[in-house]
Amino acid sequence: MTAYISLMIAIPLIGAILAFLTKTRQQARAVALVSSGISLLISIIMLSRFDSSLAGIQLDEIHSWIPSLGITLSFGVDGIGMPLVLLSCIVIPLTVIFAWGETKEPNKFYGLILLELVGVLGVFTSLDFFVFYIFWEIVLIPMYFLISIWGGPRKDYAAIKFFIYTHIASLVMLLAIFALYFNAWQITRTPDFNMFHLLKNYSLLDGWLITNVISIKDAIFIGLLFGFIVKMPAVPFHTWLPDAHVEAPTAGSVILAALLLKMGGYGLFRVILPLLPFSDSPGKMITLMAIIGVLSILYGTFLALAQRDLKKMVAYSSISHMGYVTLGAAALVPLSVSGAMFQQFSHGLITCVLFMSCGVIQHSAGTRIIGDLGGIAKYMPKLTFVMLAGFLASLGLPGMSGFIAELLVLLNSYANLPTFVILALFGIVFTAGYHLWAMQRAVFGTFNEKLGHIHDGANYEIASMAVLVLLIIFFGLYPNPVLNMMTTTATPLVRDAAGLVGVIV
Amino acid sequence: MADLFMFLIISAIIFSIGSYGIITQRSGIKILMSIELMLNAANINLVAFSSFNGDASGQVFALFSIAIAAAEAAIGFAILVALFKVRDTINLDNINILRW
Amino acid sequence: MFSEPDSIFPALIVLLPVLAFVLTLFLGKKLPHGGAYLPIAAIAGSFIISLGVFLEIYPDKIVQQSWPWFANMNIGILIDPLAVVMLMMVTFVSLLIHIYAVGYMSHDPAKPRYFAETALFTAAMLGVVLSDNILQFFISWELVGVCSFLLIGFWYHKPSAAAAAKKAFLVTRVGDVLFLAGIVLLYVNINEIIASGRFSVASDNYLLQFSTMFEAAKLIDPTQLTYITLLFFGGAIGKSGQFPLHGWLPDAMEGPTTVSALIHAATMVTAGVYLVARTFPMFVATPATLGELYPSFFPAHVPDALLIVAYIGGFTALFAATMGLVMNDIKRVLAYSTVSQLGYMMLALGTAGAVLGAKAVGISLFHLISHAFFKALLFLCAGSVIHAVGTNDIREMGGLFKKMKITGTTMMIAALSLAGIGIPFLNIGTAGFFSKDMIIEGSFEYGEKTGDMIPYAFAVIAALLTSIYIFRLWFMAFTGKPRSERHAHESPNVMTRPLMILAILALFFGFTQVGFYGYLEKNFELMGVEMAGHEGEAPEIPVIIILLPVIVGVLGFLISYAIYYKRWLDMSKIISSSNPLYKLLLNRYYEPKIGADIIGVKLTHDVVAQSGEFVDRKIIDGLVIDNIIGKTTFSLGEAARKLQTGVVQNYASVTLLGVGLLLIVLKLVGGI
Repeated sequence: MTAYISLMIAIPLIGAILAFLTKTRQQARAVALVSSGISLLISIIMLSRFDSSLAGIQLDEIHSWIPSLGITLSFGVDGIGMPLVLLSCIVIPLTVIFAWGETKEPNKFYGLILLELVGVLGVFTSLDFFVFYIFWEIVLIPMYFLISIWGGPRKDYAAIKFFIYTHIASLVMLLAIFALYFNAWQITRTPDFNMFHLLKNYSLLDGWLITNVISIKDAIFIGLLFGFIVKMPAVPFHTWLPDAHVEAPTAGSVILAALLLKMGGYGLFRVILPLLPFSDSPGKMITLMAIIGVLSILYGTFLALAQRDLKKMVAYSSISHMGYVTLGAAALVPLSVSGAMFQQFSHGLITCVLFMSCGVIQHSAGTRIIGDLGGIAKYMPKLTFVMLAGFLASLGLPGMSGFIAELLVLLNSYANLPTFVILALFGIVFTAGYHLWAMQRAVFGTFNEKLGHIHDGANYEIASMAVLVLLIIFFGLYPNPVLNMMTTTATPLVRDAAGLVGVIV
Repeated sequence: MADLFMFLIISAIIFSIGSYGIITQRSGIKILMSIELMLNAANINLVAFSSFNGDASGQVFALFSIAIAAAEAAIGFAILVALFKVRDTINLDNINILRW
Repeated sequence: MFSEPDSIFPALIVLLPVLAFVLTLFLGKKLPHGGAYLPIAAIAGSFIISLGVFLEIYPDKIVQQSWPWFANMNIGILIDPLAVVMLMMVTFVSLLIHIYAVGYMSHDPAKPRYFAETALFTAAMLGVVLSDNILQFFISWELVGVCSFLLIGFWYHKPSAAAAAKKAFLVTRVGDVLFLAGIVLLYVNINEIIASGRFSVASDNYLLQFSTMFEAAKLIDPTQLTYITLLFFGGAIGKSGQFPLHGWLPDAMEGPTTVSALIHAATMVTAGVYLVARTFPMFVATPATLGELYPSFFPAHVPDALLIVAYIGGFTALFAATMGLVMNDIKRVLAYSTVSQLGYMMLALGTAGAVLGAKAVGISLFHLISHAFFKALLFLCAGSVIHAVGTNDIREMGGLFKKMKITGTTMMIAALSLAGIGIPFLNIGTAGFFSKDMIIEGSFEYGEKTGDMIPYAFAVIAALLTSIYIFRLWFMAFTGKPRSERHAHESPNVMTRPLMILAILALFFGFTQVGFYGYLEKNFELMGVEMAGHEGEAPEIPVIIILLPVIVGVLGFLISYAIYYKRWLDMSKIISSSNPLYKLLLNRYYEPKIGADIIGVKLTHDVVAQSGEFVDRKIIDGLVIDNIIGKTTFSLGEAARKLQTGVVQNYASVTLLGVGLLLIVLKLVGGI
């Protein structure tokens, strides 16, 4: 048994407590950088120890906690969790560097960022449904405070909306988890919160009807699915996202988009896909997911086109990109599923660059309204360079990671979901459209003299964005380090569902 | 069996007296005393069942609740003293700031 | 040395410019001329390697290298005759234009960025040429598009340049999506025939490799194959500016002239033609259903895909030439000319492909390469002129020949080549004479065999118009009285030397014709692909048909000579805004209005996107979340609040009452 994961979670937790206790800005950010840096180091060691050719859980560890209820502190990673662990450990230190100049209550700020790391790492590694849920909820709280303390003018509204929305989804998910747990308990006669046991026991449930409308199996399935897609977020449960992003500080937006949204996708792969073959009406559920996925892609794209606020546009683009995750997962082909997983990873990197660009522009020009900007490339050449790279990555330029993900999803989903893929293809032109249109109006063209004297991003800001761009290009040219493990894990995951493919529309 | 029943009857009577006191009295002190009565009625039940079942855990719980009741009474009185200093009354009809 | 299976040289053809890109980007500022020597050296290296490869593999070898990439994809290099001629052309033209740009861009402060981007472009373009699978082709294809975007918007502070860059990217993106859809469809179909056990990928091949595709094309459902090829052609339409996605190319002239010469004349825009040529066996294999279904409209026994390629190409050749007649911006005239000539190349693939099979690739590619020479030359001459007079408007030029002898002469050579002037039967003439004549004859042969003369008519009329507009351009710019104050001067040597080299090629490249056709014809045989034979007896081509292209070329020259040099005819009646035809042409058939304003802004943004915004903010968020769910919860809470009297006794009584009621209910139900 190894202890990488508990160490990786414990260090930021200790770091967070230390950061809260520090007195000065310098100390707080040093603590944050060091502890998240150590987590990054551990995650890289984990990656080197991880065997991509094995599908099962690796580097697992188990500690007993509440035996009478079958709750254990068990952690481990596989091809679903490992890339996201890596992503989290990459994004948080870079966010700390990006937010190096934070002056408002810095000790709390950096502490909360570290708590976010604790939460997401817990979610991505927990193998116990109870512990998973606890971490799932832990993630909400620091984000609530990040928005409500460091946010923009409507921060209270946005923070409470974010909290209520995602919390309701979590509660529905909790109900579903309990329903699964108790029903499984009745059958197996032993309390057990272990995620894999519970997912396996789902197939044992008999589909008694709660009411005449829905069977318990479908209710559990939909409850869990609801919990995850609100987090992703998928249309029509997405309206918390633009508001939260618009008001959140840049670091908050980065973490929200890069990591918190990934929890929803993670849930899809970890929980929904194993359940799918055994739900009472898998065909309908697949169609439902495909519709949600494509709807998110197209809806997010058109809404992004309509936005005047750069950051809101980026927020809607997140919705659109996360639609590929749902679509790829619904297609139930090994490579489409691993493409969807890769989309999660890649979007996590790309969206950071986009939100950081918005942050730098806001900071320098004092506005993010696209129409009020214009020609800022003249005074912000460094920002323009990384921002353009980020935008090109986001619109799916080959050679960058987003392309590989979307390509795999589109290529491999077509066999099972042809109509949906054709619809998704339509979105690609418009995706390019809103990105370039925004660039053209905000960054290029003649300089808007009303902006007054503006300056380029600080070196630490540009540096963290540049690192991300390099990673995007690296994984765009050579995705194998994470793609291989995803494919290995996705293959057995989908094998069970293979027989169902005929059911699909 | 009859013994247990007697204990339960006594406990029920004490509980009823306590609840009657809570509903009818206006003085904070008296209400606190009534609450103590209700708690102790519950304690009687716990001890009675415990001895009936031959299991000591009920008595342990009774001890717990006595300790907690003491703490709670202390806090309650402290609140009342504080209130009296501010408002010159402990008549609960006048202290309804929790109202909508 | 260059062509062994494990030789590193073929990969270096792409990697050298990539290296130059990285170095120029980061070190360019510190080096003289913005680091221009780095890409020049790198591209010269690529050219030498290409030449070496060519000499080694000529006449009947190919180079193939392949490595696994991600998932079930591979990355690889395929150098066959088709690729090697493109390689030599791209590296050579790119090299000359880079040298020219040292002079042309000498005053621009952003030189390092310029040279970095053109180096990246060259690398991507070479990537397109070298790809051995359709995915890598697509990836390079997109990268080429992005470099084009960056370079059109090179002067990003000009709003028109920023807008043109965006338009170019988006319009070609429409084509790219079609291309991508074609790849998806192909992938699915290949997987399907593999799953059904009828096909298996050869052991050292990959799923999307060209050789695999050609093998599989025979087994794929023919209707699906038509869809796939047409979707590919959709990509080609976007990239090569064919109707109806042609509008971006003239706008792309906002970029520096060297960019126009390199990307929008010689290399990138020909990638569409190259795509069709590359996947030509698939086009030839499509069924001839249109002719069967609608015998009155379409000729029989012509593969559907080829028929559509021929018609789109022929129509574009004519359509673009009409607009070339009236443009006043020197670069726009050339841009429409490029669109029109690309149409010819497509036409050649379509018509000659239907009757001559694999030979069509040679005919089309020959025109592609001679066009690359003379069109790059035309653009560079235009650049030289613009450099000298500081305007793009030919109405403000005039009388330049006296001051710019070299530019004027070389441009005349290029114009003669474009107009296809030469002496038939003696086989003496410009490069364009050889290449274009063959296309027109090919489409005549197609007409003879199928009875469908429309493409031939398109080609001949377009040839006349081509000749008129290009000589109009030359006469207006170089003859007559100077119409602007600015003192024009001949460009420096670094600019005129490349002009001379290109002029020599534009004059004499045509003589390689026979060898070229023979070499390219074998292309698909070398890859082991059998093409359905369309040989048959070559019909006797009447003398008038052979003479006609030259006749219309000369005729066009004479018309322009009469109008714009001697001014025998007064054109002011025709060229006025009251003439609806002239207005239509000058407004480019209202394509920018329809494309950008109506489809782009009005429909997509104002209607679809804004109504989406309305739904999102007002209905989902406003009505459902805030009003229905939010308000209901709020008013429920408001009502329940009244229960909180603040009197502890009330709470206690209610609690007791509740417990009592519960007990009674339980008693009645029998729970206790």
